[in-house]
Amino acid sequence: MTKPFQTDILPHILEPAGGSVALRARGLDFFYGKTQALFGVDLPVVRNQVTALIGPSGCGKSTLLRTFNRMYDLYPGQRAAGAIDHEGENLLAVKDIAKLRSRIGMVFQKPTPFPMSIYDNVAFGVRLYESKSRKDMDEVVEKALRRAALWDEVKDKLQASGLSLSGGQQQRLCVARGIAVEPEILLLDEPASALDPISTAKLEQTIGELKSDFTIVIVTHNLGQAARISDNTGFMYLGRMVEFTATSEMFMKPMNQQTQDYISGRFG
Amino acid sequence: MTFDRRFRRRAANGLFVGLYALATLLALSALGLIMWSLLKQGLGGIDLDVFTRDTPAPGSLGGLRNAIVGSAMMCLVAMAIALIVGILAGTWLAEYGGDSAYGQLVRFLNDVLLSAPSILVGLFVYELVVRPFHGFSGLAGGVALALIAAPVVTRTTEDILRLQPNALREAGVALGAARWVTIRKIIWRGAGGGLLTGGLLAFARISGETAPLLFTALNNQFFALDLTKPTASLPAVIFQYALSAYDDWRALAWAGALLSALTVLSINIIGGVIIARGNTRP
Repeated sequence: MTKPFQTDILPHILEPAGGSVALRARGLDFFYGKTQALFGVDLPVVRNQVTALIGPSGCGKSTLLRTFNRMYDLYPGQRAAGAIDHEGENLLAVKDIAKLRSRIGMVFQKPTPFPMSIYDNVAFGVRLYESKSRKDMDEVVEKALRRAALWDEVKDKLQASGLSLSGGQQQRLCVARGIAVEPEILLLDEPASALDPISTAKLEQTIGELKSDFTIVIVTHNLGQAARISDNTGFMYLGRMVEFTATSEMFMKPMNQQTQDYISGRFG
Repeated sequence: MTFDRRFRRRAANGLFVGLYALATLLALSALGLIMWSLLKQGLGGIDLDVFTRDTPAPGSLGGLRNAIVGSAMMCLVAMAIALIVGILAGTWLAEYGGDSAYGQLVRFLNDVLLSAPSILVGLFVYELVVRPFHGFSGLAGGVALALIAAPVVTRTTEDILRLQPNALREAGVALGAARWVTIRKIIWRGAGGGLLTGGLLAFARISGETAPLLFTALNNQFFALDLTKPTASLPAVIFQYALSAYDDWRALAWAGALLSALTVLSINIIGGVIIARGNTRP
């Protein structure tokens, strides 16, 4: 019988072989007011690969993801300690947060199209930092929608409201919106959990194609999804990074007993 | 046993549905009676003269042109002030400082202002504007109406913005937009229909206000576009004429009352249509 509440775990963080690290959490602690939600988390995120974060509800995987673009800054009382290395500086100390967020995009659990046309949704982020001619903007929008595998479905109704699309299309619109600004890293917070299997498959395919241009971190509840699309996987439990390794290793021969128990479905 | 219980459930259901229907009917019939008496008494008085002639001396031909134009101008001034102040204040309460002690205080004071007797607002503006500038004026009337409309706009703006999903704010910020840009370009846009409703509610509220105008805009028997002079208004003319002993003045008062009611009604309908369209199209 396993003891899922044991916390004195020894993390197994395997340094990824090959590829440069785009982002690295080091000894990251996170607090919601007085409640600590992350405990000394280490995580290397490899450039142009998909890193999946798995673990049971409440283990801190979304919290971890939201430190990477400083989303918690919106909420007084939430704070992070430790370090996140990004291009030679500690991301937690960066002053120009808006600029940082334009380089580290995020797609949320529920689709969040803005109440405006499909075109304006995609152009929104680009317009914040650049003023482009109509023609250039058309190209940016088309390119983003193509890469998000949505172009063929919406090319004849770019002026229709983003809210008129189906859930799966809305989520791919959010992906297009996120990549239109050409970020370096794309954070995906359970992007497929509200989608049907067909939409999920399309989204997963899109993610697979995007990693040649972007570094992707995805939080998922779906172990199969992590196995299908990611190169590296981190297993989190009770606010700790229990194990981080190549995805194939993680699912074939996990080093940690808890990881073994979780991926074999003994708890979760 | 089971039959008995089923019967009791049905009876209770029928009883309460009946009571609700009755309550609805009562509320609607009050509205219906008001509209009916307004139509009966006022419709005969509405002709072209009402819109083209000014308030007359007793016994001579006249209309309500100066009052209608005066009311429109003062409401315009009031709504311009109230929308700017109210939307900004409501946005601040919903998005920034609403949970701080100062925010709580602002909200409380706004609620007090929301239910302040309008005659007090009139007296306040008398001291604030009329006395320093030595005279009644349409601008003073507009300011008084703005003081009544602004709390309505503030309240509805805050309520509507709080209904906007937090995910939208996060999504905007996640793209690298500043907080204020996210609010302006995404949250306000999403709340557009609701903000419009707030504006319409406020307009409906002030278009019938009489008390705050008595000490501020006073009245004017003549047509005037100069808002620094005393200005006529529909409610003030209705008040004056309805209490008079002259039949033709009272007929004009009825016509004015009907016009006011129809204006408010049609603005509400227009707003409803815009909102309904906004809800289905996106």
